[in-house]
Order: sequence, then C-alpha cells, then structure tokens
Amino acid sequence: MRVSDIGVLLVDDDEMIRDCITAYLEDEGLQVFAAASAKEGLQKIAVIRPNVCISDMNMPGMNGEEFIKNAFVLSPQTAYLLHTGMFYSLSAELLQIGMTADDVLLKPIHDLAQLSAKIKRIALSRRG
Amino acid sequence: MDHHRRLSDIINFLPDATWAIDASGTVIAWNRAVEELTGVTSEQIIGRGNYEYALPFYGKRHPILIDAAISPNPEQEKNYESFVRTGDKVEAEIFVPHFRAGGVYFWGTARRLLDSSGSVVGAIETIRDITERKRIQEVMMQTEKMIMVGGMAAGMAHELNNPLGAILQHAQNIERRVSADIPANVKAAEDVGVSLDLVRAYLKKRGIFDFISHIRTAGIRASDIISKMLQFSRRGDSVTETVELSPLLDRVLELAATDYDMKKKYDFSHITVVREYAADVPQIRIIVTEIEQVLLNILKNAAQAIFAAAADREPRITVRSRLADAMVAIEIEDNGTGMDEATRLRIFEPFFTTKEVGSGTGLGLSVGYAVITKGHHGLLEVRSKPGVGSCFTISLPVSGREV
Repeated sequence: MRVSDIGVLLVDDDEMIRDCITAYLEDEGLQVFAAASAKEGLQKIAVIRPNVCISDMNMPGMNGEEFIKNAFVLSPQTAYLLHTGMFYSLSAELLQIGMTADDVLLKPIHDLAQLSAKIKRIALSRRG
Repeated sequence: MDHHRRLSDIINFLPDATWAIDASGTVIAWNRAVEELTGVTSEQIIGRGNYEYALPFYGKRHPILIDAAISPNPEQEKNYESFVRTGDKVEAEIFVPHFRAGGVYFWGTARRLLDSSGSVVGAIETIRDITERKRIQEVMMQTEKMIMVGGMAAGMAHELNNPLGAILQHAQNIERRVSADIPANVKAAEDVGVSLDLVRAYLKKRGIFDFISHIRTAGIRASDIISKMLQFSRRGDSVTETVELSPLLDRVLELAATDYDMKKKYDFSHITVVREYAADVPQIRIIVTEIEQVLLNILKNAAQAIFAAAADREPRITVRSRLADAMVAIEIEDNGTGMDEATRLRIFEPFFTTKEVGSGTGLGLSVGYAVITKGHHGLLEVRSKPGVGSCFTISLPVSGREV
C-alpha cells in the first residue's frame, strides 16, 4: 500500500479542528475525508471504508464512543482513534474491538507529524 | 441553706467554663469547667480583682468580655473576630494565640448581673473552645471553594483545547506550506508567478519563521497549563497501589535532591532534612505517582521559602509521619519565610501565586489539593507563621478503603 492509498475519515463537530488536521494530512499525501457529526460520519464510513478513522469524543447527538461502536459494525477493517480533551480510559466495548490506550489522542495534538506517522504505521501494518 | 448550696452546685457543674465577678471586678464564682480549662483553681482566684482572670488566657491583665458586658469599650471590641451586643448580653469570638500550642478559638458570652432594683452588681461569662469546629469549617469552606473553582478551571480548560489545537496545528500547517520539501508548494508558487525560494528568503529576512515557531512554543506552554487544570476533573481511573509510607518519603526526598530544576535554583544539598517517621504507620492505598507529585511540589515550595528567608538560621526541612484518627498524617515543615493569614487562606486556590510572573503557574498546590481531597479522600492543611516557617499536613485514609 502506498501512502496516497491511505484513507482517513475525520469526525469532529469543530470546523477548525477538521481544517487543521485535514490540511496537514493532505500535505502528507493521504486521502482525507471529513464529517461534521457522528451521523454524517456513519453515512460516510460505510461508503469510504477508510483505513483509519479519527473521532472526536464530545459531539452533539452521539459521542465518540457510541460513534465508534456503530461505525465498527459498518467498517470493521478500519482502525479507530479517539480524539478527546479529557482524560479518558477506554470502555470495555472499545477494548473488545481492539482499541488500546495508544488509540486515545489527547487534545490538543502538539505535533501533527506524530499523528501522521501513527496513521501511516497503523495503515501499513494492517493491510499491505 | 440547702437551696443556696444547690444553686452554687449548679454553677459549679455547668458543663461550660463559667465564672462571675462583682461590680468591683472581684471574682465571685469560678466553676469546675473553667478550672479544668485553665488549670487555675477556684481557691486560687476567688476574691481576686485587678483583671486576675485575664492572666490564664492572655498572660496579661486587661479587660475581657465579662468587663465589656458591664461597660462598653469600643477599642476592646475591635479585638474580637465577631462581637454582638444585645441588651445586657454580649457575645464574641476570639483567637487566643498563646493559650495552647497553635492557639485556641474561643466563643464566649457574658451578661450583666442585676439586683432587684435593676442596678448592675457584676457579670457572668461562659466560654467554649471552638477550635475544632473552626478547623472543620475552614476545611469545608476550602473544599467548597475548590470544587467550585476547580470545576470552573476544568470546564474552561476543556473549552480552550480546541482553539488552542487550531493555533498550534495551523502554525505547523503554515510551516509546512512554505516548506521547500513539498512539491505542491513549489507548484502553487509557480502558479502565481513567484519562486518558493524567494518567498522563503523574504519570510526568513522578516523573522516570520521565528514568529511562527514562537506561536508553537507559546501554544505548547498554554497547553501544559491546561492539562494541569484538567487534573481537577480527572476521573479516578488511575491504578492504586498499597504501599509502605517510609520508603515512599525517602524516594521523594531523593527525587527532590536530584531534581534538575531545583538544583539550578534551590539546591537541596544545603538544606538539612530531618526524618521523623513513626514506626507504627500502616500501609496506605494510593495512586503513587500522584502522591509523589504532591509531596515533591510541597518540598519545592519549602526549598523556595527557605532560600527566600533570612540566612540567620540553618535551613531545615522536617518530614514527619504518624498515625492519627485512622488517618496517616505526613507533615512537611520548613523554617522558611512563612506566610501571613491572608496568603495562607488562599494558598490552594488555582492561579494564586506569590512567585514572580513566569516562575510559577499557581496550580501546583491547587492540583495537590484536588489530588489529596477528591482523589484520595484525604485532607491537605497548612499552618504557618511569618518569619518562622510553614507546615503542610497531608492526611490519608489507612489502607483498606478504596480510593
């Protein structure tokens, strides 16, 4: 798999955050898609089937934890990352779908280069 | 006679410390409770005048509350923390610093004695030691204040995360979009008819790369403050361990002695560290890293207070442990500058600092307060005397109780 084949879906209700991360990852050559709500995220994930999905935690309607549980059913091959402002420990359900403490990203991300490296590492190790 | 005897017994056995004087200021009654409180017996004091009854409390002869009941004295009334006069009765609270080690808060009430014609023939006073009640009140107020301010700090921190993320990350995006390493940048520059090299040369000449790098540095600093603020609302999901206290204290002292930041400014090796560990202290169940952090922070403050104090005494920190009321108490006492009462009362407030701008966020002790009270169901208290030093006491529940 080439870097340009890596698909990323970013789900966050804050436009600023979507723009920041999208700009960086696009410059890295990744294919980035964004959704402004969990609902939009679920519609898109079924179609896109991204390698990696980054979800915000606090979103109106459905929070990140619920979103990932639902999204996993639609796209089980996707690796999920939870982007949160609060200290958070993974629920039993999220542990069960294979998430680890490493998959929780604390806001604000100081260095997007690390995020980008992490996404590439995950995508390339999952499916060649 | 029997009737008279019974009345005097009633005064004698009143559970509150009570005494009476006649109009000339001579002591005419001094009950058992006040004997027990002061150590002065009724035989020693009955019949004495000239403010003899002030001596056990203040070490000096001067008018006290019972005298204020007979004749109002505005100058004297200023000395009380609270003072209320209602008709023949006065009621007041006062802190008496030298009555016992650490001082005592008294609540007192006094009333004129009137004869059948209504003339004043003396006065009677009752007092109660309310030190413990005051202490509990202070702890409760402190805790309420911390819950409120801490909650606000955590809420604010959370709201600031996204804007701060945008600042940090867009600064990084700007750096990337003028980087010569990305082919898309070269192409975009060409599209608008400039060379990327020239754009970069200009940005460098005008110091713009430095500005951007400063935005990132400042953002990271703000983000560190915010992550400390968020600790106020940290959920209790960290791992607790059951540990021995003494090795933990030794380890923290070792950390303090080798801490680079401290070595630079407040070299611990010049401070005499006295360890007074009680042998009977049971194990405690704690989140080790958090308690270490709190202890280290208190030690840092102690070192700072010592270095700011006059150098006329040997710099000393005493670390004590003991078992008290099913709690393990850890005391860290320094002989530094100490602090006044106004500072002492605010010391655990977030962002309250006496240090110069930039050298302290004012979050260390407030986070420590949250860690001890909210995280570990303990108490964090401080007593202090300007020019003498401060003593912080951490009380933690004995192991066996879930944190």
